[in-house]
Amino acid sequence: MEVTDAAVVAQVLAGDRDAFRILVERHSRGIYSVIYRMTGNPEDTEEILQETFLRAYQSLQRFELRSSFLTWLYRIAVNRTLDFLNAKKMTDTSPIVENPGPEEHQQEVQLRSGNPGPDRLLLSTEIQTRIVTAMKKLTPVERLAFTLRHLEGKSIDEIGHALNLKADAAKNSIYRAVQKLRQQLAPFVGAAK
Amino acid sequence: MKHLTEEQIILHCFGDAENSDAINGHLKECGACRATFDQVKAVLASIEPTPVPEPHESLEQKLWLKLRDRLPERRSSILQRLFSPPKWAVAAAVAVLVLTAFVAGRFWPRDSQRPDQVQSAQVDPQRVVLVAVGEHLERSQMLLIEIMHTDARSSLDLSHEQARARDLLDTNRLYRLSAQKTGDRSVEGMLDQLERVLAEIANAPSTLTEKDLQEIQNQVQSQGLLFKIRVIGSKVRQEETPSHQYSANQRL
Repeated sequence: MEVTDAAVVAQVLAGDRDAFRILVERHSRGIYSVIYRMTGNPEDTEEILQETFLRAYQSLQRFELRSSFLTWLYRIAVNRTLDFLNAKKMTDTSPIVENPGPEEHQQEVQLRSGNPGPDRLLLSTEIQTRIVTAMKKLTPVERLAFTLRHLEGKSIDEIGHALNLKADAAKNSIYRAVQKLRQQLAPFVGAAK
Repeated sequence: MKHLTEEQIILHCFGDAENSDAINGHLKECGACRATFDQVKAVLASIEPTPVPEPHESLEQKLWLKLRDRLPERRSSILQRLFSPPKWAVAAAVAVLVLTAFVAGRFWPRDSQRPDQVQSAQVDPQRVVLVAVGEHLERSQMLLIEIMHTDARSSLDLSHEQARARDLLDTNRLYRLSAQKTGDRSVEGMLDQLERVLAEIANAPSTLTEKDLQEIQNQVQSQGLLFKIRVIGSKVRQEETPSHQYSANQRL
């Protein structure tokens, strides 16, 4: 029978540092996926993942055993990512392209291919450029809230919990993100259809 | 007719707006709001990511190896501290034991046949770890030598070696922790390096490219790992020489 997260946490708190390895092995892939969605870069993702688990270990005494360890870890991961984005100004340096080459693939978020037709390829490329510009104009919180809602499918409550925002503030961040994206992209998306 | 706000329309696209039934009703009747709604939907549809690439197989192993050295020891809980005896009490208990042993030694009837054979009952924990680790080092050394002598052009299927590396990895971890507890820094450091190399071998693809193999070989070579294993192995053999050995009877 698998030992529960709560039992492992209790074991670590009792002084068994190596028991923390169980939690690392159990949750690192899931959290990796969440962080990658927000950074689009494997190296940055691994760095943030490491910081996430380190912070979790250091704060383990504040974890309430009645709640889900994964949810708690998720919140730490989102906040670590937010710090990382703020520190590195990722919003200014993480372009989004449609068809990344071998090098770009490691660093950029790839978008779905809209249309393969040659006459619309130019327009599609223009849209991608506009998306890059629009995403740069989002604040880190807006970008995270939008990513979590639109790409991760998280609920408003989950986003609020992860970003330490009230539900209304989380909704407002998503609204502002989409509003900015729409202002930049609407004319081009309409023309591409 | 009062139009919907942009915020209502955007949140409705995600299903997060309040009064969604009323909004749906309005969208059926109002072309302007419907157009805005469709436009927001189109913008959102244009922003789709590729699936997250699967991280490498050894993600957890590497992450733990990086983390392990950065995790501070946890202080015991208040309850544990309350119920654990204070240092002076432990010292007093040890003193009583030593005194008892001394008095017992003075008055206990001795075996006159072999008075010179009685040795100290003290066991050096570092030495115990060294002896236990001997066989493990020999097996690890054999594996590394085989890896170092693998010809990249003739055979790159290391599945057999990887199975051995996985076994050794588990044992290695236990010995490293033991060495850490007994404070034997040289053994601990060597086992730590060995653990990283074993993890590389165990988690590498079963069919390696020439470049992959070269990287592992370089890692072993650059750290002088085989040399360190031989030095520690030699230390172990010295500990096992007859002059250092003592039997269970002698200890008692």
